[in-house]
Amino acid sequence: MAEVEIREVRKSFGRLEVLHGVSIGIQDGEFVILVGPSGCGKSTLLRMVAGLEDITRGEIRIGTRVVNDMPPKERDIAMVFQNYALYPHMTVAENMAFSMRLRRARQAEIDTRVKRAAEILGLSALLDRHPRELSGGQRQRVAMGRAIVRDPQVFLFDEPLSNLDAKLRVAMRAEIKELHQRLGTTTIYVTHDQVEAMTMADRIVVMRDGVVEQMGAPLELYDQPDNIFVAGFIGSPAMNLLAGQVEADGFRTEGGLKLPIERVPAGWIGRRALYGVRPEHIELRDDGVPVEVLVVEPTGSETLIMVRNGAAQLGCLFRSRILPQPGETIRIAPNPALVHLFDAETERRLVH
Amino acid sequence: MNDIAVYEADLATKRVRRRWSAWEVWGVALLVPYVLVFLLFVIYPVAYGFWLARDPQAYVALFEDPIFVRAVFNTLVFILVGVNLKMMIALLLSGFFVHERLWIRWLSVLFILPWAVPSIPTILSLRFMLNPEWGLVNQLIFRLTAEDGPNWLNDPSLGLTFAILVHIWKSLPFWTLVLVSGRLAISRDLYEAAAVDGAGRIQQFRFITWPSMSTLYITCLLLSMIWTLGDFNSVYLLTGGGPADLTHVLATLGIRYLRLDAVNLSMATIVSAMPIVLPLVYFMMKRLSR
Ligand SMILES: Nc1ncnc2c1ncn2[C@@H]1O[C@H](COP(=O)(O)OP(=O)(O)O)[C@@H](O)[C@H]1O
Ligand SMILES: [Mg+2]
Repeated sequence: MAEVEIREVRKSFGRLEVLHGVSIGIQDGEFVILVGPSGCGKSTLLRMVAGLEDITRGEIRIGTRVVNDMPPKERDIAMVFQNYALYPHMTVAENMAFSMRLRRARQAEIDTRVKRAAEILGLSALLDRHPRELSGGQRQRVAMGRAIVRDPQVFLFDEPLSNLDAKLRVAMRAEIKELHQRLGTTTIYVTHDQVEAMTMADRIVVMRDGVVEQMGAPLELYDQPDNIFVAGFIGSPAMNLLAGQVEADGFRTEGGLKLPIERVPAGWIGRRALYGVRPEHIELRDDGVPVEVLVVEPTGSETLIMVRNGAAQLGCLFRSRILPQPGETIRIAPNPALVHLFDAETERRLVH
Repeated sequence: MNDIAVYEADLATKRVRRRWSAWEVWGVALLVPYVLVFLLFVIYPVAYGFWLARDPQAYVALFEDPIFVRAVFNTLVFILVGVNLKMMIALLLSGFFVHERLWIRWLSVLFILPWAVPSIPTILSLRFMLNPEWGLVNQLIFRLTAEDGPNWLNDPSLGLTFAILVHIWKSLPFWTLVLVSGRLAISRDLYEAAAVDGAGRIQQFRFITWPSMSTLYITCLLLSMIWTLGDFNSVYLLTGGGPADLTHVLATLGIRYLRLDAVNLSMATIVSAMPIVLPLVYFMMKRLSR
């Protein structure tokens, strides 16, 4: 186990710079998830930690060693690839034993480690099979087994669940998290799925276009998004963002809708801003603003209702089972304590 | 008669009685030309060749001819040493040509040339280069060392070596390309996973490349051996079988007998290559039908 320090790292492919100075400090034993839309440079960063891409500028440290010029095999890391990259001509057991075999470990030790990893992952019955004889979920497990057997300083995962169906993904999510709690190995995990990030991470790093937008614990990002990108990216269904201006007694949207604010930020009266409220922070209230119902999506436990007032559209999530008809008018009110305000120009959060 | 046979006989009589469907008529109509061409241009010449080579006396004469024995030996050297060497070089080179660099792309175009140009002028020009008196090579040697260079093609071992080298030079590009395509089919992830697992270059070859390529490689090896048996140009154009008929292979020896008007010996030469060809073809077919 080790800490990982990524300092001012840049990466260029030819003349194109895809990472513009990324700094992340990862503590020993921490489970950190890099999340962001496709193409933002998550995999590139992970591969730089693994040693599969060289580092154009900046420094990466694993434990006490700067690994910039170190080949992957000396970094003492294990990586799980998106499409597993299992060796097709080796059995499950051989796949898992491969790294130890290369290090000339004693056969007895290899056997015990493979056996233990297989038990942890429920692969004991499959040890003699070849990868092509396994289902997607089983392959995924073998890929993890291969990483576990190494007992490395750091685990690296690159979208390991994205090739699985939804149900298996949820199950594996829990399993990976449990595995991390059990082994306590420092882990860097890449995904584009914010739900995965929210449910598994100790800390989330939100990236966009080669820069870090915000870092923090999952609920920190949920409660205090630094900017509208993070606000829209974290949380599902996504936060509603309405343009308008701050007034002395609340927020007026461009469509003329009057929405409550708990405390008007100093010096912002009359200035243009964005009003952010999560669907689950909107309540039904008789003294709320009237809106027209567009779509009703009941899931049983909660009801998602899309509503409209003029040009402004909002998603509202209610715990109660209410079933208004499309076209009907309901009255809603955001919970002022849970409203976010963002500067319309810089798109950054207003402290208030 | 067992049940299946009865059933098949039954089907057969039914088939005769039934009129042919339009599909079947077309099927047969399209098939007939191929069958005729096959009979005319494959079965007939082969059968005729065997018929010409039917005289047992021809084989006695052949086996008593020291040139024939030497040619068999040369053929085996050509196939076992030459082709294996060629395929190993091709395997090595294919690892170089899979790299995605612009200059490697251009280099590979140049590299194809020996395979793409016609044999006769290129091999003849090599022969002229190796001429002991006025060839380019020995002139250079003389200019640099003031001594006469070796009499390249007048030495039977050197002559055969050069014939093998010419063969490699000529067909190496083709096999390299085939093996490049084999290498390109291997996912890059596997190499990356192996690198993370701690495999160096040689181990990556041993555990990733070779297991994925071995089937292709061995198929290519067999195929190349079969084709090389018929490679007439490399020897004939370079040494003409000389000196003293010591560098013949079976393919050129057959022509030599033809030119001596010994048609039956010529055919017998070809037939005597069968013990080499048939096992190769057999293994080849067995691999392909897997
Ligand atoms: N080998 C490469 N050569 C050139 N550009 C690349 C290469 N790998 C990735 N990129 C570019 O770098 C950017 C980030 O890619 P990547 O790290 O794979 O994104 P993510 O994993 O977040 O989806 C993308 O714009 C991609 O096109
Ligand atoms: Mg990626």
